[in-house]
Amino acid sequence: MKRNALVFVALFVAILAMLASGKYLDRTRKHGAIKLVGNVQGVPAPDFTLQSLDGSNVKLSDFRGKAVLLNFWATWCPPCKVEMPWFEDLQKQYAKDGLVVLGVAMDDSEPATIAKFASELGVNYQVLLGTDKVSDDYGDVQYLPTTFYIGRDGAIVDKMTGLLDRKEIEETVKKTLNTNYRSSSVPQNQAKAEAKAVAVKDFAAKDAAR
Amino acid sequence: MKRVTVLVAAALLLAGWALAQGFSDKPPVVLAPVGTVQMRAGASKEVSLDFRIGSEFHINSHTPKSPLLIPTVLKFTVPEQVSVADVKYPAGQDMSFPFSPDEKLSVYSGDFSISTVLKTPANVSAGTYPVKGEMRFQACDHSACYPPRTIPVQFQVTVVK
Repeated sequence: MKRNALVFVALFVAILAMLASGKYLDRTRKHGAIKLVGNVQGVPAPDFTLQSLDGSNVKLSDFRGKAVLLNFWATWCPPCKVEMPWFEDLQKQYAKDGLVVLGVAMDDSEPATIAKFASELGVNYQVLLGTDKVSDDYGDVQYLPTTFYIGRDGAIVDKMTGLLDRKEIEETVKKTLNTNYRSSSVPQNQAKAEAKAVAVKDFAAKDAAR
Repeated sequence: MKRVTVLVAAALLLAGWALAQGFSDKPPVVLAPVGTVQMRAGASKEVSLDFRIGSEFHINSHTPKSPLLIPTVLKFTVPEQVSVADVKYPAGQDMSFPFSPDEKLSVYSGDFSISTVLKTPANVSAGTYPVKGEMRFQACDHSACYPPRTIPVQFQVTVVK
């Protein structure tokens, strides 16, 4: 009986935690951009091949060795329009350091409409036609703009949702250009995953010995 | 007893998860209950559909200023005994937002109503008929936009002779 009471208390606390996290995310969204630091840091960016506006196929892994700013946007998203000229400037400024900007249009509009829209904003970086699969692979990209900053080794350095100020974007670009998980320390998520795998293996071994 | 505890625990966890999701993924627009609409056969009646948009959100009006923006549109599927003669959208509010202070967008925010004019033929049988539809909208807040969504719109029409 006492044990049951403990279980219910634990559940109550768990539910409160879930509600608090849901409310926190909700509040964070209302006050600006969500910055999901920690959830995706160090995780390999899912590879994809997408069609670009000029009809060619673009594969993310072809840019290994470069820092990639991967921006999901749509023509119906006014905040996206604000960032895109900044990305264009940043690409010009940091291309020599190895920055590549890729836009992914999550749009039902015709490619010609998307191209006209991008051109009017002065965008010259490659714009790719998004698919449901790439959205799913990147964690169901729902809110736009969403930008992934991918390091030279193909691991995600940061993910940002919502319009940020230009200074913060530039700082993240600089961080991305200078981050290389594989050659430095093991990223946190990977370290945790490896530790967990070892623990599970140990537990399984002990369990088998019983 | 142990099995009951586990089941209750699982149910509570699931409920907690669902509640937590609800806080962050709820649609930003809700429709106030419409109730049953009473009409005479052969008559027409205007029905107001009252919507509320969550604070901090706005949606494009029915006539946004750019063809690229997704308008708010109400569509109905009606039985043959009832027809939708007209849908009257309110004018949008011209507003600018922190993401683009120099640009005015035509939007709805807070509470707004869409009027629909229903008609029934003179020879319709008395009875209750369901009117179903959906409203498509696309919402943004002050820093991001959400994909277009639809919410169901449904009510009953009772025709009396």
